[in-house]
Amino acid sequence: MENQKFYYDNKIVKLFILATLVWGVVGILVGILAAAQLAFPVFNFGLEYTTFGRVRPLHTNAIIFAFVGNAIFAGVYYSMQKLLKTRMFSDTLSKIHFWGWQTIIVLAAVTLLAGITTSKEYAELEWPIDIMITIIWVIFGWNMIGTLIVRRVQHIYAAIWWYLATFLGVAILHVVNSFELPISLFKSYSIYAGAQDAVVQWWYGHNAVAFFLTTPFLGLMYYYLPKAANRPIYSYKLSIIHFWSLIFLYMWAGPHHLLYQALPEWAQALGVTFSIMLIAPSWGGMINGLLTLRGAWDKVRDSAALKFLVVGVTAYGMSTFEGPMMSLKTVNQITHFTDWTIAHVHIAGMGWNGGLVFGMLYWLVPKLFKSKLFSEKLANIHFWMSTLAILLYAIPLYWAAVTQWLMWQEYTPEGFLAYPNFLETLTQIVPMYMVRVVAGLLFLGGFLIMVFNLAKTMKAGSFINNEASEAPALVLAGKRNAVKETFHRWMERRAVRFSIWTFVALSIGGAVEIIPMIFIKSNVPTLESVTPYTPLELEGRDIYVAEGCYVCHSQMVRPFRWETDRYGEYSKIGEFVYDYPFQWGSRRTGPDLARAGVIGGPMYKNAAWHYNHFMDPQKMNEESIMPNYAWLAVKNVDVTMTPKKIRAMQTLGVPYEEGYDQKAVADLMAQAQTISDDLKASGIELAPEKQMIALIAYLHKLGRDIMSENAAVTEEHGETAEQPTHEITLLNTPEDLEAGKKLYQANCVVCHGPEGKGIPPAFPSLVDDEWIKGNKPADVYHSIAEGNVAKGMIPYKNMLSEKQITQLASYVLITLHEQNQEK
Amino acid sequence: MSEEKIKHTEQDDHITDHDYDGIKELDNPPPRWIMLLFYITIGWAIIYGAYYFWLKEGDHQDAEYARKSEKHDQKYQIASLSADDLVAFTDEVSLAEGKQIYTEMACMACHGLNGEGNAIGPNLTDKFWIHGCDIQSVFNVIKNGVPAKGMTAFKGQISDEKIQKVASYILSMKDSNPANAKDPQGVECNN
Repeated sequence: MENQKFYYDNKIVKLFILATLVWGVVGILVGILAAAQLAFPVFNFGLEYTTFGRVRPLHTNAIIFAFVGNAIFAGVYYSMQKLLKTRMFSDTLSKIHFWGWQTIIVLAAVTLLAGITTSKEYAELEWPIDIMITIIWVIFGWNMIGTLIVRRVQHIYAAIWWYLATFLGVAILHVVNSFELPISLFKSYSIYAGAQDAVVQWWYGHNAVAFFLTTPFLGLMYYYLPKAANRPIYSYKLSIIHFWSLIFLYMWAGPHHLLYQALPEWAQALGVTFSIMLIAPSWGGMINGLLTLRGAWDKVRDSAALKFLVVGVTAYGMSTFEGPMMSLKTVNQITHFTDWTIAHVHIAGMGWNGGLVFGMLYWLVPKLFKSKLFSEKLANIHFWMSTLAILLYAIPLYWAAVTQWLMWQEYTPEGFLAYPNFLETLTQIVPMYMVRVVAGLLFLGGFLIMVFNLAKTMKAGSFINNEASEAPALVLAGKRNAVKETFHRWMERRAVRFSIWTFVALSIGGAVEIIPMIFIKSNVPTLESVTPYTPLELEGRDIYVAEGCYVCHSQMVRPFRWETDRYGEYSKIGEFVYDYPFQWGSRRTGPDLARAGVIGGPMYKNAAWHYNHFMDPQKMNEESIMPNYAWLAVKNVDVTMTPKKIRAMQTLGVPYEEGYDQKAVADLMAQAQTISDDLKASGIELAPEKQMIALIAYLHKLGRDIMSENAAVTEEHGETAEQPTHEITLLNTPEDLEAGKKLYQANCVVCHGPEGKGIPPAFPSLVDDEWIKGNKPADVYHSIAEGNVAKGMIPYKNMLSEKQITQLASYVLITLHEQNQEK
Repeated sequence: MSEEKIKHTEQDDHITDHDYDGIKELDNPPPRWIMLLFYITIGWAIIYGAYYFWLKEGDHQDAEYARKSEKHDQKYQIASLSADDLVAFTDEVSLAEGKQIYTEMACMACHGLNGEGNAIGPNLTDKFWIHGCDIQSVFNVIKNGVPAKGMTAFKGQISDEKIQKVASYILSMKDSNPANAKDPQGVECNN
């Protein structure tokens, strides 16, 4: 058959390579800044745009979507053309893809630093950018499938299976996770709430790792590793088995991010079991890669490209064993909320993704520029710097994780938490954070050496935008010959059918987990006491989201004694039904805040404390690494948006009364005024419209609803248990009343006044006819003995004897009452 | 593996029609151990599910918490200090310990490094007290807190003995006249 002439589009590959290098430097620099902020809070610069809560999402997004994303596209655009013996389907689509993606990255950087975020990890970008991502992603897929259709090769190779799975997987994940209700160009609410939002988000979060950081890289491995080593792929059968098992099983494993959290047990169990079943399919990729190098290990010694590929594949094997281990519930209680996860993802990110990208670039750039690598020696230096940086990054953080976990759950011999002050457990590991900064600098240094090396290589070579080639046209083979052709081999020449089956394999796991969570009511049991946020609390919550508080503070108390002793009652599924989006967090750099609003609980702080802490955390405790948030005392809440927010909440199903949006602002101002007044009593002037007031209101809401229910329950129990068996008889002898008077003057005068008139409204009068807890002798006795902690009344049962309490009650009910009657 | 054997494998097991941009594929079976590992993990997953959901042998997390919490309570019988033992320490060792607890528990965040008070908490060094100035009252305020005013209850966090020590330390600061002392609050107290 006659050969057809065609040209490979090398220019698009070059563009993506250049973008990879630029964004790589940016992403690593931002990462180093974030690392420095945790070691030295001064690097938050006191500016709202550069606090850790905003910088950290920028780092993750820049590395994943900008650096790794562009590298994937470079690798895919080059290898697809070669593997399918054709130019990309459409130059226009390629160009739109490239420039569209770079626009998204720039918009992401600007909006994240401006505090415009959805707070869903690795999906922080707001809805207009989400739509752009969808469009650009479809263009990428369209271009890819178009290229498959115009191919000149009968069968599609394993690398391309992985590219297809990447396209389809990311499309499904991104669309399902990004359903949100916009209220303005810059703000939307997730349509899922609480536990449902958590399931969707971590199904996405886990599989973003799978389908953005794993499957495309397995595809790249299947092309660049055999090319660079010039060896055949070890096992075709293994390729098939680990491809289908991996893409099917991955989609189920998301709930392993939510172990011991407020999630139905069945969903957690799916997360655990499917993670364990993923070990072999993941290792299938590593083995096929490493065994492909059989007999070529001498080449590895001489080639930096191969060295990076080998370290990358090995890091992949390590991470995909470590990940399933971290998914065991016992192990997860150590690794979750500590730096373990951070170390884990950096072994994968710097080792596997970094290794494959660097290996690919060292092989691909000389190839594209028709020259030799400028300096193999510099590439080797880069290799060793990079490897050392990974170790220097991971080891201190593993150490930090174990140290902090041990401190969190250590008890003194008397049975108290050994380190009740959270900060102590953080101060202990801050030196590790300093080492991490050094590791980051080392990694950046190696990267810059690579940029220099590749630039020199490009300069020395000659680049051809359109590389000529020729191949015979494809004549599609006919029906399957069941004897000569296996089913899979047949599928490999039916690209569309192959895509459909891939789609099916990808859809099942998510569907089985998400659909029941949303539609079967028993999965989210309701708690009567949980009420919707007030307008002020809702505004405060939006500030919490915008500032990225969730980056360091979880809102999820797990059912461990060492967590309930530290924070309060463990979290229940029904608590979060009005949380659009959920704010459970994934790392505790600061203490958990799920119970920050429980008055009398260990986490409660009053408004004045919060004010001072936001203004200057280091003044409160010089070892704190929290950034200051002084601008929250300057910026006002935009109440023009409040009615819209209330209506959005109503649309999502929050039961505000009909027409509440019209009253919301008045309610907001009234509640803000009480907090402002409260601050004024402590000598702090803060106008009610300031953002900090709203944020304090939100913090004071956290956990309060469920605890008020619990408090009611314990109180009831307490009453039945401690009700004296006999009625209290007042002691009306002059001696007893005199003793009661003395006790009253020593203990009660401060709040209730010498005549018992109280200081309304905070401290009730004891001589009028209104009684909060009743005026029978037994009621008064109980109020004194048990107190009313939520309102500031101290329980006296441990300080006064039963007789003394009775004397006191008698004095109140007899003497004070009579005195008042006389007047 | 010897050179000879590699050559042998390659020659015999090449799948002849597999050639993608020069990449060839061999027809080796997957290593047996990886398949075995795969089957074992699947078996483990089935057993795990059965253990927790069909046989209902394993505790779900609420039950696990209740069980472990009970064990915890048995292990640590937290002793309350009796009223008779509640006296203010005056010896240097106890006061030094009290001072250390003051720092560890971050009392200075609200009461100042030297008890001088700040915008949040009252001065602890003057004669004026909001909730009483005897050791019992101070002990009680630390233990149970004054939540409405922002004073944390420390009862779940430190032992009665430690509270006694820090209360003693606080009382020992009386009349120390630190710098930047906050204006008096509460009533004058003369014991």
